Amino acid sequence: MTAAIRLVSVQKHFGGISVAEDISLEIHAGEILGLIGPNGAGKTTLFNLISGIHAPDGGEIYLGDQPLSRLPIYKRARLGIARTWQHVRLFPTLSVLDNLLMGPRDYPGAGTDERAAAILARVGMSEARDKMPGELPFGQQKLVALARTLMNDGKVLLLDEPMAGVEGQVYETIKQVVRDEAKAGRAVCVVEHNVSFIRDLCTRAVFMFNGRIEQQGTVEELLASEKLAELYFGGKKGETRS
Amino acid sequence: MEYIYSVLILIGINIIMASSFNLIIGYGGLISIAHPIFFALAGYCSAIVSMKFGVPIPLAIVLGTLFSTVLSVALSLPSLRVSGDYLLIASIGFQLGFVEVIKNIEAAGAASGLTGIPALYSGPLRSPAFVVTILAVAALVVWLVHRMTHGDYGRAIQAMRDDEECFTSLGRNATAIKVAIFAVGSGVAGLAGALYAHYSQFLSPEQFGIIQSGLILTMVVVGGMGTTWGPVVGALLLTALPQAITFVNLPTAIMAPLQGMIYTGLVLLFLFVRPQGLMAKKVRQ
Ligand SMILES: Nc1ncnc2c1ncn2[C@@H]1O[C@H](COP(=O)(O)OP(=O)(O)OP(=O)(O)O)[C@@H](O)[C@H]1O
Ligand SMILES: [Mg+2]
Repeated sequence: MTAAIRLVSVQKHFGGISVAEDISLEIHAGEILGLIGPNGAGKTTLFNLISGIHAPDGGEIYLGDQPLSRLPIYKRARLGIARTWQHVRLFPTLSVLDNLLMGPRDYPGAGTDERAAAILARVGMSEARDKMPGELPFGQQKLVALARTLMNDGKVLLLDEPMAGVEGQVYETIKQVVRDEAKAGRAVCVVEHNVSFIRDLCTRAVFMFNGRIEQQGTVEELLASEKLAELYFGGKKGETRS
Repeated sequence: MEYIYSVLILIGINIIMASSFNLIIGYGGLISIAHPIFFALAGYCSAIVSMKFGVPIPLAIVLGTLFSTVLSVALSLPSLRVSGDYLLIASIGFQLGFVEVIKNIEAAGAASGLTGIPALYSGPLRSPAFVVTILAVAALVVWLVHRMTHGDYGRAIQAMRDDEECFTSLGRNATAIKVAIFAVGSGVAGLAGALYAHYSQFLSPEQFGIIQSGLILTMVVVGGMGTTWGPVVGALLLTALPQAITFVNLPTAIMAPLQGMIYTGLVLLFLFVRPQGLMAKKVRQ
């Protein structure tokens, strides 16, 4: 299996703090990789490096065979890297539908309205199409943000804490969407503090701490690890949501 | 009658200037003070190529418009790649610098102004023909700005203003959109300048000073930034108002500072009391 996205010795410092230290990582098409670690571990930073928000100080990131480091943010998105944000970031002055319509790589694109309608239906948000993001409860805003990234229809899907603050039906919907996206052949990487979500969905997981990858392996291996228990759960092994 | 025509032409020119500046500042969120200089550069370019090289006037107007458009890209592209603040600083340099340049170019009439510019129209119906032309162009510009800021392109502009980083991460090139907005806005200002040159047949550096930047900004702020009709209303009001004052027949020594004070007062008043302007957009979240 070739890697959809491949990080080779990626480094990043902010001031004196190393937030990505020699990160080497592959995400394969069709897999759901879990990225876990305590607050400040560098998980979001890794997404920012892949999507181009930050330039790495060293190393290289490849999409397939293509090196990305010289490409601006928008070109990476056009190559098929889609992401969500930890803080949702819907466009507040655009309706739900218009938020989705901003998503296609070839904006405005052909048949976009139909695709947006189909994706809204898929996440159960058809009713909300003409609402403004501010009118929606938080969970539904997250669904819309996820739906917007689906409009990219690309190769890589980076989800930053999709489950934080989400419960019930919305939780189930997101889970289903993530599963289906991987099945459709996308490389999915999920940052999540919700361990049961990781356990249910991911085949493989990576544990980050202080900008380093401390451990990677199957989810079971990671959850059984002493190191992770100590660094992440503060010595107590078990399911916590922070 | 001739007076009415001249006021109508002034209104038309101001609508073109305010609408195009609104595109830049109100919709694009790009802060620049160089709008009058693009008017001037196209005016001078069109005047000079028609006078010195015998280029037919309509073609000269097109060349003048292109000249301003190209120069606007030369200004915005390098600055916007750095940041929006650079555009403002660069625009100040551009505005002040080019006025000085014009003052020192002999072929452009230097500080005393360029006279003898050929008129676009001649004959007895000259003035009404100009009125119709300018007002038609003004209507076209209002329509163009409306089109650009609504529909797919408008949605993109709005998303960019909401959250530029998120916007780019969806695959959109924010710099390209900003440069395009600035080029169209400045090109339109150029078109107004070129038309004006072949109407008034006289250009002088005094006409495009930084005071004009303030006047255009006032029109946009008073009328309503980021609205289609705001700049039109602002242009009407702020063209009519000084004309009305003229009737009071004050000496120019009082008139000029009085006008400046009125503009400044209006901007401050509106920024505090009604920042959305007269033609407010419906308030959204
Ligand atoms: N733009 C930035 N400038 C300076 N420091 C930053 C920047 N972005 C992140 N950091 C720092 O980098 C470190 C890693 O942050 P990051 O957001 O990647 O953590 P995280 O693993 O996503 O944490 P969380 O679980 O809280 O979201 C933190 O110490 C953070 O303060
Ligand atoms: Mg984070």
